[in-house]
Amino acid sequence: MAHAYVPEIAIDREGNEHEVQGWQDDFYGGKLGFWLFMLTEVMMFGGMFLALAYYNTLHPQDYINASASLNRLLGGTNTVILLVSALTMGLGLLKMRVGDVKGAKLMIWATIILATAFLIIKGFEWTAEYHHGVFLMHDKLLADSTALPFGQKLFFGMYFTMTGLHGLHIIIGIGLMIWLLKRINANKVRQDHHILYWNIALYWDIVHLIWVFVFPYFYMIGAAGGTGGH
Amino acid sequence: MDTKTIDYQKERVVYYKVLVGLLLLTAVTFVQPHMFMTHSTFLAQMLIAVAKAWLIVMYYMHLKGEKLIGASVIFALFLVAVFFVIVIGVDVPNFQYATDSYITSAPNAN
Repeated sequence: MAHAYVPEIAIDREGNEHEVQGWQDDFYGGKLGFWLFMLTEVMMFGGMFLALAYYNTLHPQDYINASASLNRLLGGTNTVILLVSALTMGLGLLKMRVGDVKGAKLMIWATIILATAFLIIKGFEWTAEYHHGVFLMHDKLLADSTALPFGQKLFFGMYFTMTGLHGLHIIIGIGLMIWLLKRINANKVRQDHHILYWNIALYWDIVHLIWVFVFPYFYMIGAAGGTGGH
Repeated sequence: MDTKTIDYQKERVVYYKVLVGLLLLTAVTFVQPHMFMTHSTFLAQMLIAVAKAWLIVMYYMHLKGEKLIGASVIFALFLVAVFFVIVIGVDVPNFQYATDSYITSAPNAN
């Protein structure tokens, strides 16, 4: 059953009535809403960092030893990859804002390639750790295994959980960027209407931001050398 | 729509400057455990991370000059910090069940 269109009326302080228009072009509202979403992300990862810090204070030496055994070359490479990808995403948005649509699309593709490279490197890293017997619900991390001290099991449990969740965000980011390309091709995202691009760029920045803390906490706290590891 | 007029060249230069800053801080991340604050690696690493985060949030996420969103971010971070202080600063040092907890008294815990 079809409904008749009933305009929504807003009344200003002087008592004048105004018909409420669509909010498709409410740039600030769109941005503010996305920031609120990102704050929930901060709280979610904040809770995980809290658990990580809690276990760390209980087992400090195990954390340092476990951290020392991680591959800092691969972790560092991924750090630089994400850093450059944040630049390409930002430059792409800038190009879109000045009307260079082709340049903007090229920058999105560059970001997608960098994001994929990040995942491939992470895949190599996880595979190597699996072959060392270190993986969730596997070999040395099993509850009855005595191959690793308990604190290291906690460390690696948090490591796989947090880098895994971060990796999931990367995959979602790639999906969003492909969707963004489709919207640009359909002329739904353009120079005068680019809030979607803006918010996906923000999303990519928060993914980068989370890694800025994940990387040193897992890879660098034992960089001066531990006394073992897996 | 975004009504700000933008100076492409100027903003592009800012992006590259921030990139250089982030790369330098990343380099500092790698040399820090061997060069300075060697007995406080965790603290040093987190301070470097905060500096990087500040650059990203202010310039890549365009938070500079955004009062309402900036206040929301500070409020959210404050909430997270409160829980950190309660758990790490108060609960852990006064934990009364260390001998009962598997986390603190597992057979191979140290």
